Amino acid sequence: MTSSAVTTVIAEPRSGTGFLPRAEFQHLIDLLAEDGRTVIGPTVSDGAIVYGEVRAVTDLPVGVGAEQSPGRYRLVDHHDARYFAYAVGPTSWKRFVFPPTLELAQSHRDEQGHVSFGPVRHEIPKMAFLGVRACELAALGIEDRVLLGGPYTDEDFRRRRDNALIVAVQCAEPGGTCFCTSMGTGPGVRGGHDVLLVELADGFLVSSGSEEGAAIVARLGLADATADQVVEGSDQLVAARDRIGDPVVTAGLHDRLLAKLDSPRWAEIAERCLACTNCTAACPTCFCTSVSQRSDLDGHTAVTERRWDFCFTKGFSAVALGGNFRPRVQDRYRQWLTHKFATWIDQFGTSGCVGCGRCITWCPVGIDVREELNLIAPPPVLGTEAQAAAARAPRTSVFHVDAVRPETHDTVTLTLSTPDGMDWSRLHGEFVMVSAPAIGSIPISISRRLPTGMELTVRAVGPASTFVTGLERGAEVGLSAPLGHGWPVEAAHDHDVVIVGGGMGFPPLRPVVDEILAHRASFGDVHVYHGARTPGDLLYKEELAAWASRGDLEVGVTVDRADATWLGRVGVVTQLFDHARWDGTKAIAFVCGPERMIQATVSTLAARGITQDRIFISMERHMECGVGLCGHCQMGPFFVCKDGPVFSLAQLGDVFGREGI
Amino acid sequence: MVRATSTPRPRLGVVKLASCDGCQLMLLNLEDALLSVAERIDIVEFPEATSHRSSGPYDVVLVEGAVSTPEQLETIHAVRREAKVLVTIGACATAGGIQAMRNWANHDAFRAAVYAHPEYVESLATAQPVSDYVKVDGELRGCPINGDQLLEFVTALLTGRRANLPDEAVCAACKRAGRVCVMVSQGIPCLGPVTMTGCGALCPGFDRGCYGCFGPREQANAASLGRQFVAMGEAPAEAGRLFAGFTGYAPPFRDVITEFGGAPGVPAGHAPSPASTGTPSGGK
Repeated sequence: MTSSAVTTVIAEPRSGTGFLPRAEFQHLIDLLAEDGRTVIGPTVSDGAIVYGEVRAVTDLPVGVGAEQSPGRYRLVDHHDARYFAYAVGPTSWKRFVFPPTLELAQSHRDEQGHVSFGPVRHEIPKMAFLGVRACELAALGIEDRVLLGGPYTDEDFRRRRDNALIVAVQCAEPGGTCFCTSMGTGPGVRGGHDVLLVELADGFLVSSGSEEGAAIVARLGLADATADQVVEGSDQLVAARDRIGDPVVTAGLHDRLLAKLDSPRWAEIAERCLACTNCTAACPTCFCTSVSQRSDLDGHTAVTERRWDFCFTKGFSAVALGGNFRPRVQDRYRQWLTHKFATWIDQFGTSGCVGCGRCITWCPVGIDVREELNLIAPPPVLGTEAQAAAARAPRTSVFHVDAVRPETHDTVTLTLSTPDGMDWSRLHGEFVMVSAPAIGSIPISISRRLPTGMELTVRAVGPASTFVTGLERGAEVGLSAPLGHGWPVEAAHDHDVVIVGGGMGFPPLRPVVDEILAHRASFGDVHVYHGARTPGDLLYKEELAAWASRGDLEVGVTVDRADATWLGRVGVVTQLFDHARWDGTKAIAFVCGPERMIQATVSTLAARGITQDRIFISMERHMECGVGLCGHCQMGPFFVCKDGPVFSLAQLGDVFGREGI
Repeated sequence: MVRATSTPRPRLGVVKLASCDGCQLMLLNLEDALLSVAERIDIVEFPEATSHRSSGPYDVVLVEGAVSTPEQLETIHAVRREAKVLVTIGACATAGGIQAMRNWANHDAFRAAVYAHPEYVESLATAQPVSDYVKVDGELRGCPINGDQLLEFVTALLTGRRANLPDEAVCAACKRAGRVCVMVSQGIPCLGPVTMTGCGALCPGFDRGCYGCFGPREQANAASLGRQFVAMGEAPAEAGRLFAGFTGYAPPFRDVITEFGGAPGVPAGHAPSPASTGTPSGGK
């Protein structure tokens, strides 16, 4: 009884929302056409749902949808009667308001050399756009700003826009590449339409968004929609929103992206990017054009023709004498992405992206901007991610000590394996928490990754580390899963690499050397420098000698204080490369050691031309919980355990080297 | 010696090397426009149209065909000396053409298999594009060349502007034309992303992939496209073979064929390098 009372309240007459039974949809198409409009809407052609002329309901994609993923689009049969159960296809409305090619002007030159110029004014048909989505309305709004918002305007565009009546359809079937939710453009229609349709199982909710639209709705003579029908429509919208989620964190994206103009990711994308222009052609807001002349053989009559052009072509950024401001594909991809998501905002007060996903689906090699944005300009770690990290919080597993190898009088390397057969070498993370009952936990950096476990090099300093160094073969110990962010070795691909490890700062860098040697051809010149207090404190002596004898990497070793046995270099570690011949502008550096050693090393590296974003250091702090929850290792805006311990100098900013932080 | 342009009508020659004459036919196919062209240009040498022979010098020479025989090698050097502007036309002249497929295989074995008296057939070990031997001032791509591009070239020549011959991908024209990408929507391998435009995206308009007859566009990332073909389910050698068409000998395509396999006339699994990949001596 209560529920029917509630229903009665909601079912109070609603102004403006009528219901059009599916069987009467042709009536709407006829009404639109009656006014002399060409109705353009979704229709199935060439294996896709494209926009073309619609005269009858049968022209619509009845029961047809599409599966979309990066680089892939396939029609599917829904086995139902719906007309609009698809996400946007390859066509955008841009084609109809901003044609791919357009004659702009004609010019003449007569025999006497007199010249004349005249604009071309095109006949523009009255049109009705049927099936416009929220993201597409946003795109039209962006085009309005670009083409009509400045002191100079595109009058042909204005006339086409004015001549197009917009019948929007609420999205109920988002595609696999949609992210309008992130861009704030959908899936719900929020204006810019003349008529709005919400497709239900057996008909359409119909409302108007303009006077012209209201007149059309009035002519349909509809009964009011029931409350149940309205709820069915809003449930669909909520479900659509949930399906899309929020794939791109846009908060602060403008600044984050522009801070990454030197990201190595641009070059990686260019390895895949075909620069084929499909993304820009499919984009509903890309507006770049070029003009060219067509003339008769004598050059007496010429036509100036404008065509869509694309920032991905080399010719687009070419200048006289063979120059080009964006000579590489990576330059052009960066231009496109940073314009869409950042500098567009500076120019037009809105993002250039509406999240329709066309550039993802129609990229022949499936480059996904959602993924690239998150990789190039990762969002700050917010609550949800912290929760995810906590969910992974260190569950302690029992490891066996398989071998103990003394390195120095107070340092050993333990080989540990897990009996559970898990492939630990694939787990990312820089360090593990080593636990022993009654002793407690300490963070130890992984000094080698093994298929079934790892090596840890530990110096006996306090009680816990003394306990760990005292473990014998066969002993058991507790280990967390690898934690923290490690060395971005992949970022060093195709770069020279400089590795500087001071004292116990060297073991964390050993997996970096392992990784480089496993893929030696992917890196340029490699330099490994290790400094210790005395010859007796040097680590991995045999391994260093083996690396040096390979001939494909430089190994330098020095000690602060020599003894009678030492014939090698004496002095601080920076002296190993103070006078080296390598070129820092092509190098990435990984540095670990005592804080003063890091500071001296960083200064020397910077003086050799390595920029701050290419110097990575491992910070030392008291790490207690290992997952950013206990607060011990807080350093400026970072938790060293969770956000680090490896940071780039650029990331640390003025936190680095500041006392008392 | 190059003659000064004292004559108002430029002298144009058409020269044929190893080719099928299809590109010359495109010139004849201009029909009405050809008459207008002929009123403004002296076409002094055109073997497909007239048996009348003429010698240089020429203001412009259009060269059709690949360099495939010692005689053609002599011809192209002689033509270069006589031509102010030398423009190569068609896939054979610009990329080596279909006959460059022999560059991957044993030329003598082919010759012996095809001809009753191979000793009468004198040919070079490889068929190569004209630009491997002499400086080329311009190119019209395609198999055959596109009539509109040819007319644009001639118009630009007569009116003194740069010809509007974009070097962008076929995709650009395909999308302007409103075609649906056959690769994304149907999984058909298409060379459009790495092939120079100029054909009006003909093949994708007929539901088939571009087979690259206009040759590699600027900075063609053919390796990435090859990897995508493999990701779409092609065996690597089949992916490589897709590049081994009329312009397969052009370096970016040639490199993919070498990397993926699929060399013309060679069983899958064998991936020999073409007989010659460099510029022969005695060229430019």
